Amino acid sequence: MDSLERIRRAIAFQPCDRPPVIAQVFAHAALACGRTVDAYLSSGTVAASCQLEALAHYHYDAVFAVLDLTMEAEALGGEVQWCQGLYPSVSRPPCAADDDFERLQVPDPTTAARLPMVLEMAKCLRHASRDEFLVVGLVQGPMTLAAQFLGMEQALYLAADDSDRFLQLLDFAAAVGEAFGLAQLASGAHLVLVFDPVACPELVPPSLFREMIGPRLAGQFTAFRQAGALGNWLHIAGQTAAILPQYGALGVTIGNFDYCVDPEALLASLGRLCLTGNVKPLSFVTDSPPDIERAALRLLQVFERRGGFILSSGCEIPPESQEANVTALVRSVRSQKRGQD
Amino acid sequence: MASDLDTLVRTLIEGEREQALKIVSDLVNKGMSSVDIVTGGIEEAMVELDTKCTVEQFNLLEIMLAGRAVMAVIHHLFPVDDELPVPRGSVVVAVLKGDIHDIGKAILKVLLVGSHFQPIDCGKDVPVAAVVGAAARSGAPAVCVSGLISSVIPQVRALKPALARAGLAHVRVLAGGAALKQCSAAALNVDHVGQTAFDAIAYLDSMGEARDG
Repeated sequence: MDSLERIRRAIAFQPCDRPPVIAQVFAHAALACGRTVDAYLSSGTVAASCQLEALAHYHYDAVFAVLDLTMEAEALGGEVQWCQGLYPSVSRPPCAADDDFERLQVPDPTTAARLPMVLEMAKCLRHASRDEFLVVGLVQGPMTLAAQFLGMEQALYLAADDSDRFLQLLDFAAAVGEAFGLAQLASGAHLVLVFDPVACPELVPPSLFREMIGPRLAGQFTAFRQAGALGNWLHIAGQTAAILPQYGALGVTIGNFDYCVDPEALLASLGRLCLTGNVKPLSFVTDSPPDIERAALRLLQVFERRGGFILSSGCEIPPESQEANVTALVRSVRSQKRGQD
Repeated sequence: MASDLDTLVRTLIEGEREQALKIVSDLVNKGMSSVDIVTGGIEEAMVELDTKCTVEQFNLLEIMLAGRAVMAVIHHLFPVDDELPVPRGSVVVAVLKGDIHDIGKAILKVLLVGSHFQPIDCGKDVPVAAVVGAAARSGAPAVCVSGLISSVIPQVRALKPALARAGLAHVRVLAGGAALKQCSAAALNVDHVGQTAFDAIAYLDSMGEARDG
């Protein structure tokens, strides 16, 4: 059974030869193959080769067409701050509170700023995949993009003070993410991970997720499904127990849960939502391989009967993580062979 | 006037800034002192916010709205900063070099003001030396650093040794934020890791109690 089939079966709650494992490795791929984070971020083709070398090194089931999380804001004219060896950050948001959000133009992912680098990366990875392993694209969710486009404080205050204008901004952010995600699918991604950490109930009330963010996520997932996505992956970091049961109704087929979420308490309310998580990301930096294996085996035990599970970290594995810890994560599924390939 | 203060507490918790200002104006017109409004209204609201946060019924947006209302009331009562009641002490707050995410620091500052501390804000993306300098100049007994990304961890670990080299070994170091709260205090070489900004306030309160008691 190849990796892609393993993922398909996990999403469909069908038996696999072993549980799939996706290490959320982005720029760590560069360090794992002796290159620098700066080199990884400089080119879609370099980043793709790093992803492929890391895949060959670790033997997990998926690669990511992901560079950094400033691209959409940069494409709209936001200012990005670069620091050697680190991911860039948005240092000046592209929008102001008094902008007319309805007049903003969705950037063309094939031409705007660095967005084409991601499309090139997806294309390289899909070519190398030959449909044997999963190629995951990534866009930021509408709430996270809204916070980037306006600045976190401004966006949150707008949500509370002027919901009509906030919804205009949220609609625009969703349109930007949808266009970028569709372009990634067209370039070769099998599916698009929607990363929306600002939608976490630790940051905004669950009612705001239900009434404002959820419908926009559902619209994106419908568009991705219609474009042929293998599944729809929603990733909201942090304590999401209050909203995870809503994911299925939004069209989500893979739901990420972070290290602080106890899956056992939620399983009964999640239906047939394939889950992925949740080894603590910082453990890959600070802990040892036995710690990682212990956490992984506990998860595998929790999901053994239910199925519908992809072993992973709760969020991105930090670039500076120890290679032995990523290896330990992958090794933990090898002991779970089920003879169904 | 006690029931008016209760109403003020509820209004602040709900983040209703304009309504809170109206209640405060009424209280002032009825003769209540600014200091009594702070202790009976704002500080009570902070205690209740802390309780709500602890039971996981709260989120950043609601804290921000409550904080905005609190700051509006404080500025209304004390239009000139010099008129502010003598604080319980100063606390240095910072986001270290390489990290420009400062929403956590902004929230902590609001809670510090509401809890009657004076924040000394070093800003974001600042070197350890700047934080040590601010602690030396202000005489603050504590430094709070917030970190969203794991790459700042080496700098957090370096903070206490740097303070010690500057003769400030007594200064407590507190850490918080999405990345740092995944670590233990020992792993970060700090005195306390706060899971929330309220945790940090509780730790600072306990420092004061230990000193006073």
